[in-house]
Amino acid sequence: MGADVSVRNSSQAAQRAADALLRSLGGASVLLRLPSSPCITDGDQLGLGTGSYADLVLSPAVFRRSRAAMHEGTEGGWELLLSASAVEAQVSTSQLDSAEVLFAQAVSLIVGTKTFLIEAISASEVFGRVYLYRLLLREALPKAQ
Amino acid sequence: MMVDTKDAFYVALRDRLRTVNPERKMLVRGALRPAILVEDAEPVSEKMPRDVYVLRWTELGSDPSLPETMAITRCEIHYCTVGTEDACGLDRGKVLAAMDADLREILKPPSTPGMNYSSTPATATGVTVFWTEPLFSPTKTTRDSLERVASVTVLARCVEGVQ
Repeated sequence: MGADVSVRNSSQAAQRAADALLRSLGGASVLLRLPSSPCITDGDQLGLGTGSYADLVLSPAVFRRSRAAMHEGTEGGWELLLSASAVEAQVSTSQLDSAEVLFAQAVSLIVGTKTFLIEAISASEVFGRVYLYRLLLREALPKAQ
Repeated sequence: MMVDTKDAFYVALRDRLRTVNPERKMLVRGALRPAILVEDAEPVSEKMPRDVYVLRWTELGSDPSLPETMAITRCEIHYCTVGTEDACGLDRGKVLAAMDADLREILKPPSTPGMNYSSTPATATGVTVFWTEPLFSPTKTTRDSLERVASVTVLARCVEGVQ
């Protein structure tokens, strides 16, 4: 049996459709927090709080609970559906190689006033082009009041 | 003193790794640096990074038979590999052995001068940080990943005449 070598042209149609869907479901903006400069000093690598950070705006996105907390004391997870076109734009602006590098550098993600940690990332794609990212998040422990 | 002890230990191993195996590097937070990091000083990650030495500080203790100024702490050095892509991962045993060898190398000699990195430039604290021989755990296999933990006890004592 021969390989399927039929031509499949990549287009932005899926990205546009995903963006329209995300906007229709609320189209929230989230902030991806990244180091604003490479962590080359000893203080950066030792956790001495000498690093500086910058927030990248990503939109449209949909933020929701991913699963219910079924046991007392169990933390429920959160899910973020994120526009791939917004991620692509930030990858280009930041002059990074790929979205994977962008997410790997992120220290946290901010939704509203709450900070979340990224637990897992998956990408949905068609014809080799990503149109939607799905991020599983966990809320960072809040500070004591 | 304990913070300085941990910091000096990490910086010593990092600088030695740069010399022992310059090719063992990683890209973290925008910087290409030797593939060793302090777990509690980096972003939280669900998975242990591959081909990287991850320092995890665990026990904190003291020994009444030792001088009061002795700081004792335990460091677990976690590392794992799935081998190289070129060899389709079939060299993972060899890669883990190479990581074992590099780790043994950077732990020698088992001492380094204590430094305080909270100021720039770092200042010598006048203490000597030293550590025990590493204890290597048996290899743990998780799917295609080989993992190992080496444990060392890190101590610091005051240099004679210096507090």
